[in-house]
Amino acid sequence: MKHDGSKLNVLRDYLASRAPVLFFVLSPDGRIIESNRFSRSVLLGRGPEEIPAGTCFHDLVLNFNSDFDFEKMVSDPEKEHLLNITTAAGTPQSFYFSFVPVQDQILAFGRMDTDEIEFMRKEVLGLNQELNNLTRKLHKQNAQLERLNREKNQFLGMAAHDLRKPIGLVMSYSEFLIDDADTLDAEQLQFVRTIHASSAFMKRLVDDFLDVSAIEAGKFDIHPSRENFVDVLEKSLELNHFQAQKKGVTLEIHCQDPLPKTLMDAPKIEQALTNLISNAIEHTPPDSRVRIALSHTPREIQFMVQDEGAGIPADQIKNLFQAFGTTRAKKTGGEKSTGLGMLITRKIIDAHQGRIWVESPAGKGAAFYFTLPVSPEMNTK
Amino acid sequence: MITPTIYDRYLTALLAGNRQAGTTTVQKLLDNHIQIKSLYTDLFQKSLYQVGELWESNKITVAREHMATAITEGLLNLVYPELFRGERCQKKIVVSCAANEFHQIGGKMIADLFETHGWDAFFLGANTPVDEMLAFIDEEKPDLAALSLSIYYNMPSLKSAVSAIEAHFPDLNILVGGQAFRWGGADIIHNFKNTHLLKSLDDLEKQMAWPV
Repeated sequence: MKHDGSKLNVLRDYLASRAPVLFFVLSPDGRIIESNRFSRSVLLGRGPEEIPAGTCFHDLVLNFNSDFDFEKMVSDPEKEHLLNITTAAGTPQSFYFSFVPVQDQILAFGRMDTDEIEFMRKEVLGLNQELNNLTRKLHKQNAQLERLNREKNQFLGMAAHDLRKPIGLVMSYSEFLIDDADTLDAEQLQFVRTIHASSAFMKRLVDDFLDVSAIEAGKFDIHPSRENFVDVLEKSLELNHFQAQKKGVTLEIHCQDPLPKTLMDAPKIEQALTNLISNAIEHTPPDSRVRIALSHTPREIQFMVQDEGAGIPADQIKNLFQAFGTTRAKKTGGEKSTGLGMLITRKIIDAHQGRIWVESPAGKGAAFYFTLPVSPEMNTK
Repeated sequence: MITPTIYDRYLTALLAGNRQAGTTTVQKLLDNHIQIKSLYTDLFQKSLYQVGELWESNKITVAREHMATAITEGLLNLVYPELFRGERCQKKIVVSCAANEFHQIGGKMIADLFETHGWDAFFLGANTPVDEMLAFIDEEKPDLAALSLSIYYNMPSLKSAVSAIEAHFPDLNILVGGQAFRWGGADIIHNFKNTHLLKSLDDLEKQMAWPV
């Protein structure tokens, strides 16, 4: 075939400056003599840099298994070799290379597999669509669950509210009967006491349900006024005193005087204190002690209650302030729990912009802490 | 409100593949309580139509067009936390793309706009086989079905899907729409008795009040 010089020049120029293939002219021992613009762009980026003369071709190749055999590849010009090149972007790129000996030089051509790239592009687009559709579905289901949860809370609130009155009656009348214990025989008195204890537990459960229902409906409002924390604590201790006495537990109180007055919803803080102190009495062994400490800084008041029980396993602490977040820690007197007290306590402290946490070194009981800011900026309703 | 400056900045980001800038623009609009319909029509739809025109006039590659679509679809996710929270009207719609139709964003936007009107809108995705669509309609018993078509040469697939839906659910109203109808196919409403052509997203409100 007769060579047409001008056509060859156009082809050479295209290959050198515009063709989207890697093109190298190599010496027989694999050193780069010449490279085209696309190669430089892939290997070095879009700057004016040149591939240093004498660079070995195999230095461009990611040779993971040390099996790069240049001579073998050059010996079969018909065959394409899949090689990975480190690009200027820092990511490896795969090219199919052909090595064609021409006179005393070797021409190396590297092409991308466009079919494969197209296939991958479609796959990625498809996966992206699927991911986005799943995200949509997830948001939709999440909204449905939120709606169901709202309805459940509404139902729970209504049911709890309606149960409160009859349970209160059962409790009151069983109290009357206990007061008239001399008219009952021993077995009857035991029955009535069981009725009273059970109805008291049911009332606590219903009260907790009502609180949780209000919390989840976003209707857990606080009505703060400036109060003396010690007064609120004393009220709570009155309620817990009987429980402690029954179990032979001593309540040991340490107070850093004088505590500053702080803004709080006193009945709710009293509820939180009662929950925490009663929880400590339940988890401390009979005839031991529960330590209560109050301290303060200029910014906040800190409350601490510590029992002498078995403590809380570290892996269960994170669930403690969740609904029904009971732990494996055993109550030492077999007391019943609604499983909602700690959640309600956390919500009360959160609403006061305080912090609540627990520390429980292995085998040394559990210490519950909370803080209340002395001058909070509260959103009240 | 989407001003020309906001739109231009967004389109530039979209064409450059700058997902982060697109996210910032959309999030700011959402924070300023933009209406979902305005966001969808004046930003997402308008920009995607413009990207499509740039592709059709060989000004950008198909890869760039796909990237812009993928980014837009990702940005729809920013709308979802609020989209599904509104009051429900107890009506259901199943929205899908015909078999072989891989462009799904138009159909998804239709489903989302129905959601803003309290409908429970199920979106089945791109390239949905007819059998799967029929099974889903049978299970959910929607008040309305909608099919989206972007590529005109997939019109036969759409017609066979409409035909199958009508054969199995003769009383179900079907909405069809999408960019494909720019090139024809409007006669579909004459060939199927319960099928209605949605000419634009602005036309959508009328269809919401469908006597279903």
